[in-house]
Amino acid sequence: MLTAESVSFGYGGAFTLTDVSVEIAPGSLTGVLGPNGCGKTTLLKLLCGVLRPDRGRVRLGDRPLGSMTRRELARHIAVVPQETHPAFDYSVMEMVLMGRHPHLGAFELEGPADFEVARQALDATGTSHLADRRYMTLSGGEKQRVIIASALAQATEMLLLDEPTASLDLGYQLEVASLLARLNRERKVTMVLATHDLNLAASVCHQLVVMRGGRILAAGATREVLTGKTVRELYDVDADVQFHDRAGHLTVVPVKRIDG
Amino acid sequence: MAARQKKLIALAALLCLSFASHASAQVARRVVSLVPNVTEILFAVGAGAQVVGISSYDDFPPETKSLPRVGALLDPDTERIFSLRPDLVIVYGSQGELESQFTRTGIRVYPYRHGGIDDVLQAIRDVARLTGHTADGDRVVRGMQKQFAAIRQRVGGRPRPKTMVVIGRDAGELRGVYASGGVGFLHEVLEIAGGDDVFADQKREAVQPSNETMIVRAPQVIIEVHAGDPPASQVLEKERAAWNQLASVPAVRNNRVHLLYGGYLLAAGPRLGQAADTLARVLHPEAFK
Amino acid sequence: MVRARLTSVVCAYGALALGACLAAPLIGSTHISLARAFDRSVPFADNVDAQIFFVARMPRVLTGAIVGSTLAAAGVVMQALLGNPLATPFTLGVSTGAALGAVLAITFGSSLAVGVLASVPLASLAGAVVASAIVYALATRPGRPISTMVLLLAGVTLNAFFSALILFVQYAADFTQAYRTIRWLMGDLDVGSFAPIVASLPMVLLSLGIFAFLPRPLNLLSVGADTAATRGVDVGRTQRLAFLSASLATAAAVSLAGPIGFVGIVVPHLVRLMVGVDHRVVLPASALFGAAFLVGCDLVARTVLAPVEVPVGVVTAMVGGPFFLWLLVRKS
Repeated sequence: MLTAESVSFGYGGAFTLTDVSVEIAPGSLTGVLGPNGCGKTTLLKLLCGVLRPDRGRVRLGDRPLGSMTRRELARHIAVVPQETHPAFDYSVMEMVLMGRHPHLGAFELEGPADFEVARQALDATGTSHLADRRYMTLSGGEKQRVIIASALAQATEMLLLDEPTASLDLGYQLEVASLLARLNRERKVTMVLATHDLNLAASVCHQLVVMRGGRILAAGATREVLTGKTVRELYDVDADVQFHDRAGHLTVVPVKRIDG
Repeated sequence: MAARQKKLIALAALLCLSFASHASAQVARRVVSLVPNVTEILFAVGAGAQVVGISSYDDFPPETKSLPRVGALLDPDTERIFSLRPDLVIVYGSQGELESQFTRTGIRVYPYRHGGIDDVLQAIRDVARLTGHTADGDRVVRGMQKQFAAIRQRVGGRPRPKTMVVIGRDAGELRGVYASGGVGFLHEVLEIAGGDDVFADQKREAVQPSNETMIVRAPQVIIEVHAGDPPASQVLEKERAAWNQLASVPAVRNNRVHLLYGGYLLAAGPRLGQAADTLARVLHPEAFK
Repeated sequence: MVRARLTSVVCAYGALALGACLAAPLIGSTHISLARAFDRSVPFADNVDAQIFFVARMPRVLTGAIVGSTLAAAGVVMQALLGNPLATPFTLGVSTGAALGAVLAITFGSSLAVGVLASVPLASLAGAVVASAIVYALATRPGRPISTMVLLLAGVTLNAFFSALILFVQYAADFTQAYRTIRWLMGDLDVGSFAPIVASLPMVLLSLGIFAFLPRPLNLLSVGADTAATRGVDVGRTQRLAFLSASLATAAAVSLAGPIGFVGIVVPHLVRLMVGVDHRVVLPASALFGAAFLVGCDLVARTVLAPVEVPVGVVTAMVGGPFFLWLLVRKS
């Protein structure tokens, strides 16, 4: 269980995030929704311990994140950023093996067991055939799947993803979405997915945390939170939110912008 | 249009020429020298009273202390020089831009070119003539020639040690060594003083020998010449000891590494005879007993 | 798998470095006989071959190996730290600080007449330390990761500022001092004895020792600071260690032999072309290849126009410049 209790944070100056509380249950797939600049990324960074809250606290189980080393944290929580631009042209296998870092000693090299974990991560993300390719030569969707594989190689029970589909075209978006749903279902990986893509959230998330202006607007089960009213409050947009039979989940169709 | 321009230029050139020839007929009364060793020459030929401006680096003779400074090779202060109303400016041969600036305005320029002893003697004669001291100039030149001849005679017939004249080195270690090459007044002074230059085959004023080169050339005498005053004796000892690691070099083995101090050793001017004398005494002490 | 590659690469590059260090003292502008050089029956002071071998060439080759090795390794660390393959050990102002120290010692050292201050290596070391301290103070805040952008800006600005100071001091210097400064800036491995090498060893060994802890964190850091943090890297600590050790290595190398350019950027790039980009392989391979590279360049410097020598910095630049252009053309 990962919990944030009345967390506030500012990058020097006014709070970017004010009095935010969330609970991430084991095995859940939670979406953090909201417009650009609402504090989604900041919340994610607080949840994985990259940022320390100015007020309130974040706990993993009953341990505050502040009391854990980066190494310990990295064995429990892995993160997939929006985009990854390595300065050097690593191979896919090297990128994935970097996920093993928190499990290796200072001078330890990856052994057969680590390679096995990496291979499984590549399998799980359908990227085994790319293992020997250079990361920089991959397409956007392939890159994102490799980064997810690298996070999986970290063998954590929890995965935080920050806009993992933002830079992908429609085909790759669906591909990554179904990958996440499958990993959550089959591997029981707890996931927190920050996105402004309402349909992505609707398609994979069990519950949603909806944010606006650094505060939580609503939280709860997807079908209860994702309503026309929420969309209006979030984006000032009049939208139809309906269950789509063929898709098998809620869909949001924006109709028009509401002025004033 | 172009023809007219050409005419104008020709006219200007003619004007300059007439100015120049007009000026050369006269003796310079107000002299600015940007070259320290030429300043020294001016005083030696009795033109000291005519000197109205000198370079930033002048320190000899002591009379120069009170004279206005007008910059040097890299930073001549043209305005300052003009304000001193000189009728002769002595510049370095490489200061072509500056030279034409003065000639355009009718001020005579003497471009000094660095070279061997003959060039120094010629510079003395030239400067003396330009300042109206031709006879004094000839006297100085003859005096120097006499000094050189006397030293040659004194050391003549004696074995000439292979000598390295070092003109620069990092403090306390054998790095950044500069030595006199086989060209220039230092090389010639060494030859007069009865030494064979180990770098006589290097036809340049200065060489930068590596430690290996110094070991291989194996000089029998090493003479370091420094422009300043001698340092405290323990510093002097430390600097001399820096050579000890070249143990196989005869100069080091036979304790013939000499550190000499004095501006006259490096000034291409009237005191070169004195410099040759100093070197000769170091190279052939027995000849001066 | 990683171990096998690491072992084979280190062996191959180690053999290359060792070969260069063994072969270079045998070659020079003069021919020497090894038998005579090691002939104990001749007193050392009478043995010219031994003198050339032990006084002129061995210290020089060793200096080349140490300087080449530290500069190349520091280049690798700087490039990973700044996430920029074009960074060099000199990017963050260390060498310009060292140069300022050296210029001050050359220009004013003799008039100060204090042995320590007059020493060019010590003054350049002091300059390097001051420069790194300023950059470090500007770019770090307690408890926060270093902003590489601030680090880069601070370094580049300090480089420009110190260069201006150098020009100012140069202006006050007389002709021979100015000339000596220019020569120092070209780099010179002819240290003339083992003493300067021994003096630099503690710094070199300390920085190489710290380098040993860095490769895997640097891999992650070069992927992104936040990514590195979430994979378990203590980003702030890694950055501080990387900056301090690379600065220390650079300071040691520059105070020993002057700012020899291109080694810190050409060698890492060449090595990456051959062994890939994993820092666990690149770092030791660069350190070894850097040694061989600089020893080789110095061999060219001291023999190609013998008895006149070409400054070794000119040789590394003549090799490095075209190589870099080729790299650019190849990539585009």
